[in-house]
Amino acid sequence: MSLENILTDWSRYRKGLEQGGFHDYEHMWGMVIDLDKCTGCGACVVACYAENNLAVVGKDRFADGHAMHWLRIERYWDEPDLGEGRVAEYQHHGASFLPMHCQQCNAATCEPVCPVAATYHTPDGLNAQVYNRCIGSRYCSNNCPYRLRYFNFFSYYESSWPAPLHMQLNPDLTVRDKGVMEKCTFCVQRIRAAKDKAQMEDRKLTDGEFQPACVQTCPTSAMTFGDILDLHNPGKGVENTRAAALWRKHEVELGKTRQTKQDPDLRGYRIFEGLNTDPKVLFLERVREV
Amino acid sequence: MSGIRQLFSGRWSFPGVRIPVGERAGLSSTAGFLALVVALFACAPLAAQAGSTVPNAVPPEGTYSGKDVPQPIEFPHDIHAKINGINCMYCHTYARRSKVAGIPPTSKCMGCHSVIATDKPRIKQLTEYWEKREPPHWLKVHDLPDFVHFTHEKHIKRFVFDNPELPVEQVSEVCAFCHGDIKDMTVAKKQKPLTMGFCRSCHEANNGPFDCWKCHK
Amino acid sequence: MSLDKMKRREFLKVLGWGGVGTTLAGCDMPTTVTVQEGEEEVVAYLAPEEYVIPGIGVWYATTCAQCGSGCGVHGRVREGRVLKLEGNPDSQVNRGKLCQAGQASLQAHYNPDRITAPRVRRNGQLETIGWDQALALLEEKVGPSSGLAGERFAWVTDTVSGHQAVLLKAWMEAVGSRHHYVHEAVNDAVWRAVCRDMLGDENPRLRIDKARVILSFGADFLSTWGSTVQNSARYAEFRTAPRGVLVQAEPKMTVTGANADLWVPVRPGAEGVLALAIANRLAAEHGRDLSKLPADVQQQVRAYDIDKAARITGVSAEHIARIAALLNERAPSLVLAGTPAEGHARGYDNVAAAMLLNIVLGNVGKTLESGAGFPFPQLAAKTGGNRELLDFAAALESKSFDVVFFKGANPVYTAPEALKLKEKLAGVPFKVAFTQFEDETAQQADLVLPLRSMLEDWGTHVPTAQPEQMLISLQQPLMEPLYPETRGFGDALLALLKLRKAPQYAAYDDYYAYLRNAFAALPATLKQGAISDQQFWTRAVQKGVIEVGAGSGSLTARVAAFTVAEPADQGRPYTLVPSAGANLHDGRYANLPWLQELPDPISKVVWDSWAEMHPITAAKIGAKTGDRVRIESDHGAIEAKVYIYKGMHPDAIAVPLGQGHEAYGRYAQGRGVNPLKILGLATETKTGELAHHATRVQVTRIADKVGDKLVKLGGSEAQLGRKLVATVTADVYARTEGEA
Repeated sequence: MSLENILTDWSRYRKGLEQGGFHDYEHMWGMVIDLDKCTGCGACVVACYAENNLAVVGKDRFADGHAMHWLRIERYWDEPDLGEGRVAEYQHHGASFLPMHCQQCNAATCEPVCPVAATYHTPDGLNAQVYNRCIGSRYCSNNCPYRLRYFNFFSYYESSWPAPLHMQLNPDLTVRDKGVMEKCTFCVQRIRAAKDKAQMEDRKLTDGEFQPACVQTCPTSAMTFGDILDLHNPGKGVENTRAAALWRKHEVELGKTRQTKQDPDLRGYRIFEGLNTDPKVLFLERVREV
Repeated sequence: MSGIRQLFSGRWSFPGVRIPVGERAGLSSTAGFLALVVALFACAPLAAQAGSTVPNAVPPEGTYSGKDVPQPIEFPHDIHAKINGINCMYCHTYARRSKVAGIPPTSKCMGCHSVIATDKPRIKQLTEYWEKREPPHWLKVHDLPDFVHFTHEKHIKRFVFDNPELPVEQVSEVCAFCHGDIKDMTVAKKQKPLTMGFCRSCHEANNGPFDCWKCHK
Repeated sequence: MSLDKMKRREFLKVLGWGGVGTTLAGCDMPTTVTVQEGEEEVVAYLAPEEYVIPGIGVWYATTCAQCGSGCGVHGRVREGRVLKLEGNPDSQVNRGKLCQAGQASLQAHYNPDRITAPRVRRNGQLETIGWDQALALLEEKVGPSSGLAGERFAWVTDTVSGHQAVLLKAWMEAVGSRHHYVHEAVNDAVWRAVCRDMLGDENPRLRIDKARVILSFGADFLSTWGSTVQNSARYAEFRTAPRGVLVQAEPKMTVTGANADLWVPVRPGAEGVLALAIANRLAAEHGRDLSKLPADVQQQVRAYDIDKAARITGVSAEHIARIAALLNERAPSLVLAGTPAEGHARGYDNVAAAMLLNIVLGNVGKTLESGAGFPFPQLAAKTGGNRELLDFAAALESKSFDVVFFKGANPVYTAPEALKLKEKLAGVPFKVAFTQFEDETAQQADLVLPLRSMLEDWGTHVPTAQPEQMLISLQQPLMEPLYPETRGFGDALLALLKLRKAPQYAAYDDYYAYLRNAFAALPATLKQGAISDQQFWTRAVQKGVIEVGAGSGSLTARVAAFTVAEPADQGRPYTLVPSAGANLHDGRYANLPWLQELPDPISKVVWDSWAEMHPITAAKIGAKTGDRVRIESDHGAIEAKVYIYKGMHPDAIAVPLGQGHEAYGRYAQGRGVNPLKILGLATETKTGELAHHATRVQVTRIADKVGDKLVKLGGSEAQLGRKLVATVTADVYARTEGEA
């Protein structure tokens, strides 16, 4: 049934934001991560575990690649180019840290392949995973170029939260059971709570009213979260957000596979943008002195 | 919003769907989904409930025959809500302020019952709890799956406070949409299916939101 | 800031003693069961506060007690359970931010391995008893009737501050003992000693934010050294245009080193020579005037030109020249020295040589500010290092104590095997451990008294590193104690004091009453117009901190006598670097599963120990990543799996601290190895600290990567041309975002 849907709606579905997009968007949550400020410490990762009921899988399952960290910090050792096949003896430039969580792509490759439409794009521009719909085909994670979807190969409820650890579980979201794919939601429970509250008070959301757990805890404030809908639709979402200001400042536009910046030296870039995934996480390049 | 709505329109309308009750199905798991699919095809659509006494609202469709739930005190909803005409939100005060309606704290009961009907056996039972400084352990009748986010406050806002034609005194008519005729019961019993189809029928008729993540968590 | 705005709208609440909301077990707790009609229990509140609404989280302010930094936190409580912690924006220590250990303190609170009732040793086994019996036993063993002289009592703790420290001191004075050992295995004791001698203040404020260049000799200030969340905020400032440059010199790359613009490997122990060579270059090439320095210091500086220093330190002359040029060019700068520089026989001299650079470059008073002037010295944080551990062991050797109390510190785990601490402890007739967990030290105790978690207890904390506006941070319970048979540390101290000085303390039913009284007695100037003591208290607990004014005092630079020594490298071929990481710290977080599963920032290894080495070293040993090696010192051997990368000096082998627990619950026990165990007992000459980076080891490959694997976060070690972490040069940055 959903296959038929998807075939019918495919072309509309792939319509970029600059052409009006697939959705009548209410918000478009995006993020900016300044890699020059990220120290790779990992506070965000633990904050994510605490907020999102992420299972601790243990050493053996971690070895099998079953870790459930929605947010992971990748570390790369870069070899500076010394030319003529020479290799540096030491890591004089330090390491390169990269916090990676769902890029919330606007043209997400994970979405169209779900046979049961358990993953879809919300009017908030989020890449949603509806756990109770998921049948565990794992097509989505296969199709994610960033490898940011995590599958529950086992049921971790008993092993990960022996009493009274289970008392810490956040009731605003579920504990995902065996056979379900899960992923970063930009802390949708916080988004939902903030939206509900604004709705109850008959007002619009304001910038900074809530933050995902990772952004809130980051000791160097390397992450900025906010609505970036007004980049394309002024006056529609939450206006004048700090996140949108950074996207503008770094001249990065949504809906493009290659940016045409007036100043190509500006630091903003998106990972694997050329794949036409249209990710909503903007990275600011790490600065190197030499 | 309209996009998603069209994507699913007319294809997911199964009023009166029942999720197997009390079965330990893996939540949000393959097993859970399959159970749901089986349920979808096994259940014949039940008759829609006709008419509504609430202006500007179409109630959800479906009925359900719930089990009797033994409670620590046989609380008479009928005496409170029907005979004495007490507003539901007098006791379930959190309904307009929180996602849960809440069981009233024992102090609330004692607010009246330290003087009213103190000689009745059920009140004596209550007083005993109060004096032991221990709240009764009630059993939950209207339970939703853990993967569902339902918020009372927004529904109360939509159907009561934002509904100019419904006096707040008649809030019980709105509560009855999902809780049935509690006014006529002593101990509450589930009368509505509280399934996704049930929710959908109402969201469809009243122009409610259709984004999956509005209700699924 | 918008974050503040958000927090203020959520009502921060105050709990009175006994007013803690009932924990609604079973209510709205995520499970894997779907619909439970008539099965799930719902328990209503008995008589809740008006602001407690089921389904809505209430935020309370308290203080994180995971380390001595004293970060303020906000805890979200729903249905009587604390669910999530965030930083408290009102605390200038952490300004709304929190590190991984702070986040994971939830798991220390809900840990399944907590001790739930007092235990006493009978016939060699620990048996559960009640508090009445435990208190009776305490009265018998430590009360006046014990007949013991005061000097026969000792305490071993980790960093203590606030009113707990006051009560502890009062108890020491009541019995007449001076033996309070504050032991921190990961510390900055030598740095403090040098600061005391050369700046006149042992705890200067590090203005990382004001520096244009930072040269750090192994000070891992972003991860393990000092008040890391506070440092991180200042680091973010430092990296904001005009962007500061970070140079890190150390034998093993730390997290701070991994973020450096220039990281240079230093031969272990040669930090002092490197610092002198930089001073030499500053004078020789950049015309810095060293003539006011003491003659012997001038002579030492002259002794190390960059070429000679390059041969000794392993840092190329080119790099030394570049570092000197950077320091000369951009002012102010800041020179720091951390654990790897301190941990040698002449560690003090290494650090002093680094401090000399601060003096030569005129940083004192600019990026190093006085931290003095905290108006309540009795509340100030009392911290320590490894010397206290050695002193304690020496005292045990001479059978000095009849009763020893432990709190926070776990010396049986952190002491080198050569110290034979376990055996020496056996000679102490009565050992009492105040603890949440049965760790290695608690296992040796005769009486184990279970403490409340930081989320169940009252207290006050004074940060080890005070922000510009000095403060006292308050700790309040966020939920009912999980286990009724546990006690707060303040309450336990009060009970001990009542055994000795009943009349003075009889007025206080509990620690809460004591704190209330202490707050009422604070000077009126701090009460900021509160109309009553009650209002002052309520405001303070609500906010989580009370600010007690900016510090006063200034630093006076004075070059203390020091003589830098070149590393000798005798005996075995490699130097062992027992490296601390933020995840497990000195091993105290090893029982928190989130932190075990959090990959180490550098190696990305989880749930294990490993040995880091340079490819050159690995080639000599014949080991590949994942192979098993045996690391042997004069005092024992450990085995670990190899991780090879180029962030090591080829003479150094680094093994992380934190694993190798023989006790401490299901998550910590029997996992990896503890490098502290094979350390030698050589000490730092001037301070008596343990020379923990001076142990020489032999490394042999013993097995291929079979069986027990080295488990790390997957993926390749290099970017392979994908534009993942893109970089831009500082020049370009200066043009686009620079001096705006």
